[in-house]
Amino acid sequence: MTTVKNKHSKTPTGGGGAPEAGDTRPAGRPAPAPAHPTPDTAALRRRRRIELTRPWLLLAPALLVLAGLLLWPLIQVGKLSLQDYEVKFGGGVGTFTGLDHYADLLTSGLLWKTVLPNTVFFAVACVGLTIALGTLVALLLNRLGTTWRLICSVAILAAWAMPAVTGTYVWIWLFQPQDGLFSQLAGAIGLIDPATTNWFTERLPFYAIATLNVVHHGFPFVAITVLAGLLTIPKELYEAGMLDGANAWQRFWKITVPTIKPVFLVVTILSTIWDFKVFTQIFLMPGGNGSNPDVYNLGVFSYIEAFAKNDYGMGSAAAVLLTLLLLAITVVYIRTLFRQGEEEL
Amino acid sequence: MSSLQSHPKGAADSAVRRLGLGAAVAALLVFTLFPVYWMVSTAFDPKALTRGSDLLPSGVTFDHFQLVFERGNFGTYLLNSVIVGGATILAAALLSLFAAIAVARFRFRFRTSVLIMILIVQMVPLEALVIPLFIQMRDYDMLNSLLGLSVVYIALSLPFAIWTLRGFVATVPKEVEEAAYIDGASWPRMFWSVLLPLVAPGLVATSIFAFITAWNEFVFAYTFMKGSDKYTAAVGIYQFFGENSTAWGPVMASSMLVTVPVMIFFVVVHRKLGSGLAAGAVKG
Repeated sequence: MTTVKNKHSKTPTGGGGAPEAGDTRPAGRPAPAPAHPTPDTAALRRRRRIELTRPWLLLAPALLVLAGLLLWPLIQVGKLSLQDYEVKFGGGVGTFTGLDHYADLLTSGLLWKTVLPNTVFFAVACVGLTIALGTLVALLLNRLGTTWRLICSVAILAAWAMPAVTGTYVWIWLFQPQDGLFSQLAGAIGLIDPATTNWFTERLPFYAIATLNVVHHGFPFVAITVLAGLLTIPKELYEAGMLDGANAWQRFWKITVPTIKPVFLVVTILSTIWDFKVFTQIFLMPGGNGSNPDVYNLGVFSYIEAFAKNDYGMGSAAAVLLTLLLLAITVVYIRTLFRQGEEEL
Repeated sequence: MSSLQSHPKGAADSAVRRLGLGAAVAALLVFTLFPVYWMVSTAFDPKALTRGSDLLPSGVTFDHFQLVFERGNFGTYLLNSVIVGGATILAAALLSLFAAIAVARFRFRFRTSVLIMILIVQMVPLEALVIPLFIQMRDYDMLNSLLGLSVVYIALSLPFAIWTLRGFVATVPKEVEEAAYIDGASWPRMFWSVLLPLVAPGLVATSIFAFITAWNEFVFAYTFMKGSDKYTAAVGIYQFFGENSTAWGPVMASSMLVTVPVMIFFVVVHRKLGSGLAAGAVKG
């Protein structure tokens, strides 16, 4: 994709008067006036001006929408987190309270004992399992013939395409107390008593089911991306490895992983970002919408504080905390992208 | 690869290998497809609630679908989702195409900064946006409005659309554009007659993805749409959940109605977007 160099638009006619140096000069710098003004100058200047303004004209609508609906709200949520915001008839009223919400949040037992551990351990488990399963599936796909690879790819796409909302409902139904398939099966082999066991009330089984849901939805992206990486590895590397007597395990760790390390880095960081902000899959599970504080994660906690308890300030403070966490990971992500050398934005 | 070493043990070895491969494929297919199968078979099962661990449905009935449409008003929700998704497609396709051309075809100051900023805003958690946007929309009286929801979805789908389309635009050879200029075409003319037709396949794939984003979204639709006639399909399923009991037949039937279009779209565009997704992720 980056093989095509996107040099900036050459002058359409390639006419004699156009300075060729325009292509190598740092972008955005206006052309110096030619030493000998020619009749072309006015037209040339006009063309330059178009080249300077056109990209911004093209970008403007998108940037306006992004600024108004993503950037401005981010500033607002920062502002709200410093206020006690009350909803009144005909508009809300904010009272400045400084860092009170942050002080409350960071000293609350709920945050340190429940919310943060839930968020972090869940994300770590999801990322680890997603990457492991995705890589295994990619290795499997890499060894299959065309037909079976296609069949498996379509199945993987089905798991990927499953919307978070409906996927979550299916998993709830599978683990539903009493009537659910897995409750019945576990009851049949004497593991649990289906009549009294509710997997959704306790933290660990609740998050185990959520992990299953998120991994099921998330591993296809890893599998397909890693497969794309595997296909770029020259076969000769493996043949050389086999001649040296390396077994499959050694070939994977000594050849595959180092060669496509950037791919692994990127899917790991992206999965980390996504799994830290899982909301829908938790919120829709029984007890996840606030009735069971034991299963709060940072996103759900923020939402409940704001919309169920009308404490918009506290909700915003939690949201800011989550955003900062994700921002830190994002910075690592972007630096990784740039360190890949060949990357040209 | 195994053909390289043809020692006598080879045949038995490869039989074991084939068996292992087959087992792995079977496990993969079961894991990926079983939830889909369970959803579909429950949706058609006349005794959905009590099927327990019966792998096959006890029969085939359309009762759940009928209930979903007649009592659950699901037709309206699907229509709402289509309207919102359609508005999102139109605006996101247009805006992201312009932006993608700008970043793929022009070199200008702050170009890299703009690209990185677009990448960063994509990482922002929805939970951080939903509070201020809820307050903003309430102040503008845009809650409960399909337009207000569409505007949010346009913004949410733009970053990914710009990054993906950027790749598609970059693959159109510059020479094609220059040929149009030599024939005396102006930039807008070149855009409509040359660039647009060439990036159309990418544009369609990206638009479908924007549609899926809008179609699947839950948090904003759930928070903004308080009148039940304005629910989108993803939120509409929620109503079949009771306090103590859940009507799993209707829930799975409506879930199926939401899921199947997405799956079809996804499989259709995956070749186009699949490479773009992977390349986009690998190379930024």
